[in-house]
Amino acid sequence: MTDTLSALSGDLAALAPRLAAGDATIRRVALIELADDGDPEHVPLLVAALADADAGVRSEAARLLAGWDDTDVAAALAARLLDDDAGVRAAAAQTLSELKSQDAGVPLLPWAVHEDAFARSAALRALRELRLPAARDPALAALTHADAGVRREAVGVLGWLKTIDALPALAGLARHDTDAEVRRVATGALGFAADTSVAPALLAALGDDHWPVREEAATTLGKLRLATATGALIATLEQDIWQVRIKAARALGLIGDAAALPALIASLAHQAGNLRKEAAIALGEIGNAGARAALDVATADPDPEVRKAARLALDRLEAA
Amino acid sequence: MSFPTFSLAQQRTSVPVRIDDEKCIADKGCTVCVDVCPLDVLAIDLTRGKAYMAFDECWYCMPCEKDCPTGAVQVDIPYLLR
Amino acid sequence: MNTIEREVDVLVIGGGTAGPMAAVKAKQADPNLKVLLLEKAHVKRSGAISMGMDGLNNAVVPGFATPEQYVREITAANDGIVNQKTILAYAENSYAMIEELDRWGVKFEKDETGDYAMRKVHHMGTYVLPMPEGHDIKKVLYRQLKKTRVEITNRLVATRLIVGDDGRIAGTFAFDCRTGDFHVVRAKSVVLACGAAGRLGLPASGYLFGTYENPTNAGDGYSMAYHAGAELSGIECFQINPLIKDYNGPACAYVTGPFGGYTTNSRGERFIECDYWSGQMMEEFHNELSGGNGPVFLKLDHLAEETISQIETILHTNERPSRGRFHAGRGTDYRERMVEMHISEIGLCSGHSASGVWVDEHAATTVPGLFSAGDMACVPHNYMLGAFVYGRFAGESAARHAQEHGHARVSASQIDAERNRVWAPLLRESGLPPAQVEYKLRRMVNDYLQPPKVTRKMLLGLERFEAIRDDLELLHARNPHELMRAMEVHAIRDCAEMAARASLYRTESRWGLYHARVDYPERNDADWRVHVQLHKNAASEMACFKRPLEPYVIAMDQDEHAAYQKLRIHKEAVPA
Repeated sequence: MTDTLSALSGDLAALAPRLAAGDATIRRVALIELADDGDPEHVPLLVAALADADAGVRSEAARLLAGWDDTDVAAALAARLLDDDAGVRAAAAQTLSELKSQDAGVPLLPWAVHEDAFARSAALRALRELRLPAARDPALAALTHADAGVRREAVGVLGWLKTIDALPALAGLARHDTDAEVRRVATGALGFAADTSVAPALLAALGDDHWPVREEAATTLGKLRLATATGALIATLEQDIWQVRIKAARALGLIGDAAALPALIASLAHQAGNLRKEAAIALGEIGNAGARAALDVATADPDPEVRKAARLALDRLEAA
Repeated sequence: MSFPTFSLAQQRTSVPVRIDDEKCIADKGCTVCVDVCPLDVLAIDLTRGKAYMAFDECWYCMPCEKDCPTGAVQVDIPYLLR
Repeated sequence: MNTIEREVDVLVIGGGTAGPMAAVKAKQADPNLKVLLLEKAHVKRSGAISMGMDGLNNAVVPGFATPEQYVREITAANDGIVNQKTILAYAENSYAMIEELDRWGVKFEKDETGDYAMRKVHHMGTYVLPMPEGHDIKKVLYRQLKKTRVEITNRLVATRLIVGDDGRIAGTFAFDCRTGDFHVVRAKSVVLACGAAGRLGLPASGYLFGTYENPTNAGDGYSMAYHAGAELSGIECFQINPLIKDYNGPACAYVTGPFGGYTTNSRGERFIECDYWSGQMMEEFHNELSGGNGPVFLKLDHLAEETISQIETILHTNERPSRGRFHAGRGTDYRERMVEMHISEIGLCSGHSASGVWVDEHAATTVPGLFSAGDMACVPHNYMLGAFVYGRFAGESAARHAQEHGHARVSASQIDAERNRVWAPLLRESGLPPAQVEYKLRRMVNDYLQPPKVTRKMLLGLERFEAIRDDLELLHARNPHELMRAMEVHAIRDCAEMAARASLYRTESRWGLYHARVDYPERNDADWRVHVQLHKNAASEMACFKRPLEPYVIAMDQDEHAAYQKLRIHKEAVPA
């Protein structure tokens, strides 16, 4: 540390005694000034501060290292995931999650299989954005971890990697995980599937007890345009709460099966304007002339958003 | 043209940015809140070594509060808008 | 107080959104260039996005919208008065900019498979990309500035551009708002990125700094461009925005819309017909506010608890995070009470409407060597992403210009004259306090320029603004900070005069409330399908003239035009 300190030049030379001051607050303030200069030469000083005796200085160093995307920084930050101080641990996890280069992800791989649940979920969270192929195995292993936070981050890694052979495991979580948020993100992660193998899991999720999971399922079915889901989506459109019905209407519009016409037309009379609007849009996307009379009525809806959607839908029917 | 003379009054105003002197570390060299204020309304009182709001020109935008390393700054909504 | 002179190749004025991008891109284009970013506040937290941004309103992402579709949408939203080439250049480069910002570390919302989570808010294309974690965007920009080794000076207030004897740009004059030192910065090319004229109208609260825009953006850029001889365009197309009453910050319908929130009248009914954020929309808003169904509210109380807490997290940590504190003070809980809304004071801002310095598709103004980007450059409805894209264009163009040209020759008398003007309020022994002059000026702006616009009132406004011109000679500053406010009053007065003159010149109504003229209530395409340009003429007077529209590069075919018309309102009357 002293060697690097003595290398500080110009205006920054005055910082050296403050960086080594006995008063932790002075060290911390000096560190902020040092980082502000943005010189890559100073990064080792910031890394060294991660081992400061004072937790405030360590937290500050962890925050100030954001944006320095190299392996040494990542390794040093990862070591702080086991810091005694919760603030330091959180700051290190946050900065790690902002890493952008794949190289910086390599030192995180051992942490993605670490026994400490906080460290493990933080490492997985950071790895998600990096799409590092080597993160696949640690993520797969973490899908069965006892801690829901770890499972949630593991799903993220696999979803972003679009790992086809992880689909069965993700489908399993979407159906059976005990944590609703894990079920929801696993349902969303099925959205990269290239075939209909995920349909049973998505249909099961459409019947989940927790409505955000059902919402995610309807959205994902639409994204995948899974025609086999038409019947189930119609049932959702007829029976669920309006938030989920909206996603079902949108999915039915994307799938484009005229079998959805009666349910969508019935939705044009629902109390929620948001749903009436979505139903009108979907009818336009399906483009079946059978919706014309109902859409004509909807052009006089009290809600201007519905009227607009109905007018545009009629144009699409015209063009079809 | 003769230069007009001006009489001025001092008007009191309640300012929206409050500094907790116990937490403020300006005496240790910190100037973060003063640095980040877009309107440059904060200053350090050199005799006390504490930050304070020197000008009533606040956009209640909060960088001073968010970036303060010790949580010493509290931004209220200016009274006229509250 | 000293005079400090320095010389650089490329000078960027304004370190908010477009400016940092311009500086980074100029330096990347040629690392040998000396690039200086000059900022009135501090680059870390300056400009319109000092606390981040909660989403993109105009992302043109493949698979969701095409550049051609976007150009048609903006052409319709701005009632046909656009230079389509500038809009197309934005649209074609919008996605690459999102990708680059993403690599830099700006956080855009992605779904569980890592794809951008685009949200459909408009009826035709899909343009909204949320940024629930967009609060660190300035940090990301700052990091890039440091990485590319752009030189930065903070707390320098630019006052006038330096124009060379041959009419080329030559740099800027500025002063330090803490020491009062006078700076002469010579440059081969200059990028102006000073943001909106956000301190033009007075907020209903009467608090000078309770503006919609960041009040640091006082219109300095508009004034500097004008005095340098640049053409400005569309000044009469004011900015007026829907907002939370009294708090005066955005209500963020684009954020709450995808969650099911919406704007209603007092009966809890939606009333907005117009699809795109425009003067049409503001006219509907104004009519509802002043009609029997008013006032207007943001309605969220029908949403589920999970949704509301998600909305709170986004809105209370991003862009204008103090809104949560405002609601708490009033006892407004989104779960139980609708949020009362209003419309903002007027401003000039191309980011939201169309007023700005005239630029082409390379961000070049009509002054050789001067480029402009962001809220103050006339590329209608450009928003934050447009500021980044045009910041890039401006930086690259300015680098090229600096490579090809030397410094322009400048007369010493120009320097003396500006130093005398800038130091005058400090050197006076007594005089008018800047805040008092500003208050009166901006109240007059409200009284005489707030739409619906009335000819006689605007003429009276011009008289008042002329009288205040005399008051500028009486401004007294007790310290360099007050000097900053005094010089801002100069810029605000210029903007007020520009707003009045451009509005008087266009003798028709267009852009809904933005240019609703009571004595010319009809839109008149035969005479006014043109840009209204404003500049300082040969006699050094403020003058307006017509600039014909460039031929459209994207045809507005009849069917599509009809589709857009179906999104417009059909009421004709403009209540006075």
